[in-house]
Parts: sequence; structure tokens; C-alpha cells
Amino acid sequence: MEQELTSVGHDVQVIDPDVRIHVYSLVTALGGFNGEDADRYMLGDDALSCLRDIRRWLKLYDQRNNRMDVVRCLGEANLVIGDLLPILSIWWANGQNSKHLTRVALACLELLVPLTWPAEYHSQMTANHHRHTPYLQQIQVQYKRSILKYGGSNLLRAVIRIALPSMAIPRSERESRDEGILKLMLYLLRNIAIITTNDRLAAEGDEEETSRSATINAFQDQDAFALILTMCSNVAEDFNQQDVVLLEILFHLVKGVNVDKLFLNDEERKAKRSDELGDLLRKENQVKREYARNAPTRHGRFGTMIWVKRDEHKVTTVSGQNILRDDQASLQKMDGSKKWKKPRPRRKKEDTVQYNDFNIPVHLSLLATKNFRIFVEEFLDSGFNPLFTHVRKAIEREADRVTGINARQFFYTVGWFLEAERARRARQVIQNAEQGKKAVEPDSFGLVAGVLNQETFISLNRGMQMSLDNKEWDDLTAQMRCFTQILLTVQEMAFSPIEEDQEIADNIQNRIFYEETTHDRILSIVRGYKDQGFGYLDAATELAHVFLRMLERYSKINVDMQIRSKRRARKRKKDAVQTEAQDGAENEEDVNSEDEDLVDSAQVTRERAFDFKRFAAKFCNQSCVNTFVAFTEFYRELNSEQLKRAHRYFYRIAFKQEMTTLLFRLDIIHLFHKMIKGPGAMDSSEPVFKEWEEFVRQILRRLTKRIDQRPALITELLFSKMNSTVYYLEFGQERQTMSTA
Amino acid sequence: DPTSLGLGLDEEVKVTKKRQPAPKLDEARLLSQPGIPKLRRTAKRKLRLKGKGYEFQDAERLLNFYQLWLDDLYPRANFADGLSIIEKLGHTKRMQVMRREWIEEEKPKPFGDTI
Repeated sequence: MEQELTSVGHDVQVIDPDVRIHVYSLVTALGGFNGEDADRYMLGDDALSCLRDIRRWLKLYDQRNNRMDVVRCLGEANLVIGDLLPILSIWWANGQNSKHLTRVALACLELLVPLTWPAEYHSQMTANHHRHTPYLQQIQVQYKRSILKYGGSNLLRAVIRIALPSMAIPRSERESRDEGILKLMLYLLRNIAIITTNDRLAAEGDEEETSRSATINAFQDQDAFALILTMCSNVAEDFNQQDVVLLEILFHLVKGVNVDKLFLNDEERKAKRSDELGDLLRKENQVKREYARNAPTRHGRFGTMIWVKRDEHKVTTVSGQNILRDDQASLQKMDGSKKWKKPRPRRKKEDTVQYNDFNIPVHLSLLATKNFRIFVEEFLDSGFNPLFTHVRKAIEREADRVTGINARQFFYTVGWFLEAERARRARQVIQNAEQGKKAVEPDSFGLVAGVLNQETFISLNRGMQMSLDNKEWDDLTAQMRCFTQILLTVQEMAFSPIEEDQEIADNIQNRIFYEETTHDRILSIVRGYKDQGFGYLDAATELAHVFLRMLERYSKINVDMQIRSKRRARKRKKDAVQTEAQDGAENEEDVNSEDEDLVDSAQVTRERAFDFKRFAAKFCNQSCVNTFVAFTEFYRELNSEQLKRAHRYFYRIAFKQEMTTLLFRLDIIHLFHKMIKGPGAMDSSEPVFKEWEEFVRQILRRLTKRIDQRPALITELLFSKMNSTVYYLEFGQERQTMSTA
Repeated sequence: DPTSLGLGLDEEVKVTKKRQPAPKLDEARLLSQPGIPKLRRTAKRKLRLKGKGYEFQDAERLLNFYQLWLDDLYPRANFADGLSIIEKLGHTKRMQVMRREWIEEEKPKPFGDTI
């Protein structure tokens, strides 16, 4: 204990010296590079037992006492890079026929998996964990780099080779040992896919060599992709214990990858890249120009000062030359010079998001993009349906191998691949048009049908409701993305030239839109935004946008659309029961007809006609507006698709629902004005800028007119509107109350 | 010996200076004369909006008008912060009653009530 408390320095012992001595002696006895033949690794006489002893140390000291001392010791003793990897490479080069060496190699794999197991920050950490985790995260990055690229050898391939004999055995004859080996191999691949450099720790140039691109390239070169594809497509027959690990590997490969960029072809990408550079330069230029416009034209001590005259003979002094430009500048300067900032509630930092966060965009190199696209296409062709059907069943059954995080990974990955499938189709259409092939047989959507069934919808709906109720926002974000992609896929199906696809799409839409609970859930998601972060905001607004538009179209085509509303059914039933009780004394004939009526009314109570206008009106309230305003505040970082989404929503509020009053609040007006006129305005060369400018102009025009008509707006501009007065402010009269007969 | 009596006369009396409480933007301040009453009073006179064709200038004028008003009322906060504080105050019971009153004032009186 005393040793642990000594101040920071070189000689501080953070690990029990006895443990260190034991572990070090084991590592030394394992083998080493021979003196006379310095680049050859020589196995120690009792290497296998050493490896097993090390494993025992990990198990009986670290795991049992919930410490990380041995793991750290092994890191400091350079076991992985100095011993395990050389041994594996010996086995790969010339030991595959030796039974002994094969067992040694397997023992190495058994150690590699726990040593590369991602060290995460979580809520049940001891002081010991806090001490070792940063070190482990850093050393794991080095492990990963060495595994991906060890000298000239293919260590991933070697690892896969270790497991091949077990793979070859049919599942019915496989023993638990074989299953264990398969598991080890897959977990190693998963760990490799997970490990990344930590932003908070110095990476010392490892970023490139351990990036997603490097991982993908290594997976491609060393046939890990081929292995994953094989296992995914045969998951139902031969590998049904491995489904969840496979899902995890896929999740960690695809998270954050931009689908659109993946499916550009080389020329487009090159063009886009040079465009990108041009774009960025232009943007930077714009920023510079804006600065130059406001920059002082004289030296810094030129000393300008003006008075801003105000009411009652008051003046405010403002200094600096840039204020001479116009009134706006001086007022902005007045505002900017205030020191006090309103205290903001700090957002709680959630634990264990680091490795499961899919909101951080990832950039792939050119080669990696190519490799990955090939893999994604092959996966869509062969592995998508079998894997995801199987995983969904496992999650629903709550199988032992499923952990809490898997559901989130499932929904995110499904959504991602659906998006990829749509991107691929779009790509094919363009290609066919280019090559002048017109009579190409269109593909059906059978390749992704595994997730377009009622079972998936049920589990997705249930999952969304649960995440919403339990406030698990990351889960909900993944589910919303998945739902959005399903909707978009179905929409594309509806436009498919194949008649069968259209029918299926129609059927699916009917099912999705039939449940009123789904409609209400989307609404409460959008209404309930509060500090969940940008990823959530993006997913929620996109879902609302897509859902509303599809529903609008669908209800237009199917004029007599019915939805099931549970609330109604219960109420009416009660009424019906009451009337029945009252009419109990009626004669028999009447009772009979009454019964018929009851049956009829039960039918009606469960279904009622859907009115899109009424549904859209539900999105027309202050909390939904606030959510979209919060989204629009990020306008500098949004792409044109996202800006369009916000524009369409506000347009709907203002001009379709005739509720401009909801937008008449000073902070919103301030935001809109800033978006167009600056400082820090939107990029005016984008086409979406024109739409926004026109929209804001219309809104502002209405605002000035409205202030003239109803001076009460002068005060109401400061506040969110009250439900009781919003109608008057909009229309200048009270709402005509209609009798609801 | 006064110390033996245990009266503690020798002990140093600690004087903790109370900090001047920071002025708050609350209902009282908002409803005081330089608050919303002034806003209502001066809006007609000072806020001259031009209408069609001058949308963005009008918006600037409007925003400036409110910014200067807020700066007089509560100089501590910048414009955005001040607005968000006021918006929050608008949810209180008292403010809601007042707001409704202001709106009622401008409504045309129903025919029967004018006697």
C-alpha cells in the first residue's frame, strides 16, 4: 500500500513485485532470439507449459481478483510482439505439420485473445483499472499494428489456419474444443477490428497503420473477409454459435463508414476528391473573405472609438475600427464583449460508448474503399439474409451468447447494409444507362428480404418502444436509423418495375402504417428531444422526415386508408357495453339487431380512417419546432440533404399547416437571419441556400405584416406560444369550436 | 480573568463579508417599468418596419431593437442568453396570466361588452 502511495516517478511500483518476477520469468523461459543466429526465434524447452502457466496467471490472478496486473506485466515484458507473434510466424513458415508446434500456436492464440480484449472505461472500475487502462489501450494499439503487419508474414492468415481443421468438421461432429477454437479465432478478428488509437492518448504515428483502412486491407489480403463471408452464408447450418461474433465483427468494420462514398467509382471519386479539395479551398476562401471584410484596415493600435446613441440621452462606447462598417457591426461588438455566460447544465457522459459509438465518421483510403466495397457487395449477395435472420432469432430468444450491446449493433448494421444495397442499386442503374443496356433484367429485393418481414418489424417496434421508455438513446438512435433505411428501401421497392416487388412493398407499407402506435412513437421521439446529442438529433429528424413524406404519399394513393387505434377501441367498447345494459329490456328482435350492431361497431372501433392532415398537424407544435431548431443550429456542419430536411419541415409548418406563429420567436428569427446574412452565414453557392433564403424572406415578410396587425406579438415574440392564444395570433380570431357530434 | 469565564471574549470575531448577490433577470425585473412595459410603450414609436422588399433590413431593425432593450434591462447577459432566460420565464404561471392579458387588451371587444 505504501508503495502505491509514493509520488509519481520512475521507480513507482504499481504492480506487486512478486507477481512481476513470476510473470517475467515465465516470459523469459518461453524462448528468445538466439545469440549466434540473432534473427531466429528459438522456442524454449518447455514453451507449451510456459504458455499455459501464463494463461493460468491471467485466469487465477487477474480475473479472479478483478485486477489487471498480469495483463500490464505482459505488456511491459513485450510478450506479444517479442514472443507470441514470432512463434506464430515460425508455425506458419515451417511448423504446420508438427503436432507440438500446432499446439503451441494454439496456446499463443489463447493468450492473444485476452490480451487484445478491448480495455474500456465502464462504471465498475476499481482504482487498479483506472491505473492500467490507459497503458493497456496504448499497448493494444501496438499489438494491433504488429499483428496486421508482422515482418513479411501473414499472421491473420496463420490464425485462421489454426481454426480451419475445426471449421472443416460438420457441426454435428464438432466437439466443444473445436467450437472454442472457432470462437477464439473470431474474437481475435473482432478485437483487431475494434482496437483504435485513443484520441486522449498520444498515438506516436500509429494512426495510419492501425486505422480502419489498414484493418480492411489486411482483412482482404489475408483472407479474413473470405472467411467471414463463408461463415455468414453458412451460419444457419454450420456456424450457428458464431452468429453474434460475426455480427460484432461486421459492426466494428462498418460503423461510421459513409455509404455514398463507398459506392462511387474511381473516376467519380477522383473527380469528387479534386472537387472536395476545390470545395474546401473555396470554403476557406469564403471564411477569409468574410474576415477580411470585417478586419481592421489600419494597424492594431489605431484606436477608433464611437458612441452608440441610445434613448434618454444615453450612450454606449464601442471601440475598434471594424465597427465603422455599419450599425450591425457595432451592435454585434457590443453583444460580443459581454463577459458573463449563462451557466449551462453539463451533459452527463455515458460510459462504454467509446468502442460502440457509430456517430463518428470514418474515412477510408482509396484502396480500402475498393476492397471494402467488394466485400460489402459479396456480403449482400450471400451473407445478408442468413446472418441477420439468424441473429434476430438469437436476440429474440435471448440466447446465452447474446449480450446487451448486440441488439444495438444488429439494428445499426442492418440499417447500414440496407443503405449500402440502395446505393449499389443506384450505382447499377447509372452504369446500365451509361453502357446503353436498357433491357437489363431488374433485380428483385430478395437479397435483403430477410429483414423486411413482419418478425423484424415487430422486434424493431418493440425495441424502439423499450429504448424510448428506458431512455436508452444510443439504442434508439440505431433503431431509428434502421427504421429509416427500411422505409427508404420499401419506398424504392414500390417504384420497382417488377410487379411482385410493388405488391410486397404495398403490403409492407400497409403493415407499417397500420399501427397507430408507430405513428405516435415517431411523434413522441421528435417531441422528446433534449440534450441527446447530434447523432440522435440527426436520426430523429431524418426518421420524421422520411416517415411523414412516405405516409403522405401512401395515404394519397390509398384514400380509404385505415389504421388501428387501440385507445378508441376500448372506449367505444365500454360505450357499447353500457348501451347494451340500458337496452337490456328490449324485445328479442331488437337485441338481435343490437348484437349485429355490436359486431359492426367492434370492427369499426378497431380501425378508423386515417387523416394525414390531422397526423401532420400533430408535428406542428412548439416542442417539435424546438427539435428542428436545435438541428438547424448546426447549419454550418450540415450537408445539403440535412439542410433540405430542416427546410422542408419548417416549410410544412409555415405554409402547409399555416402555423407561422410557432416560428415567431426571437431566437428562431435570429437564427434564420444569421443563416442568410451572417456573420457565419450558409455557403451561398449551394443550391439549398437559395431555397432557404426564399423561405426566410417569406417568413420575415409575414412577421412584419403580423406585427402590424397584432401588436401583442411584440411581447409574444419573446416566448414560446401558449396553446390558448396561438390560434388567435395566427388568424386574428378565436377558433370556431365545432361540436363533436 | 475574562477568558476563564469561558465567554470567549478573546477569540477573534470572524467577519465574513457577504457577497453582493448578482442581479437576476427574473419576473420582477421583466415586469418592472424598464421591462416589458417599456417594450410595449416604445415599440410603436421606435420600431418602424418597411415591409415588402426590405425583409432582411426589417429583421435587423427588429433584432437590434430587442437587443438594445435587453441591454438596458439586463446588461450582464448577451442577447442569446438573455432571450433564453426570458423564454424560460414565460412558462411561469404569473407570466402566462400577464401575457394573456396583453393579448386580450388588443382584441376587439365583443359587441355586448362596450356599454
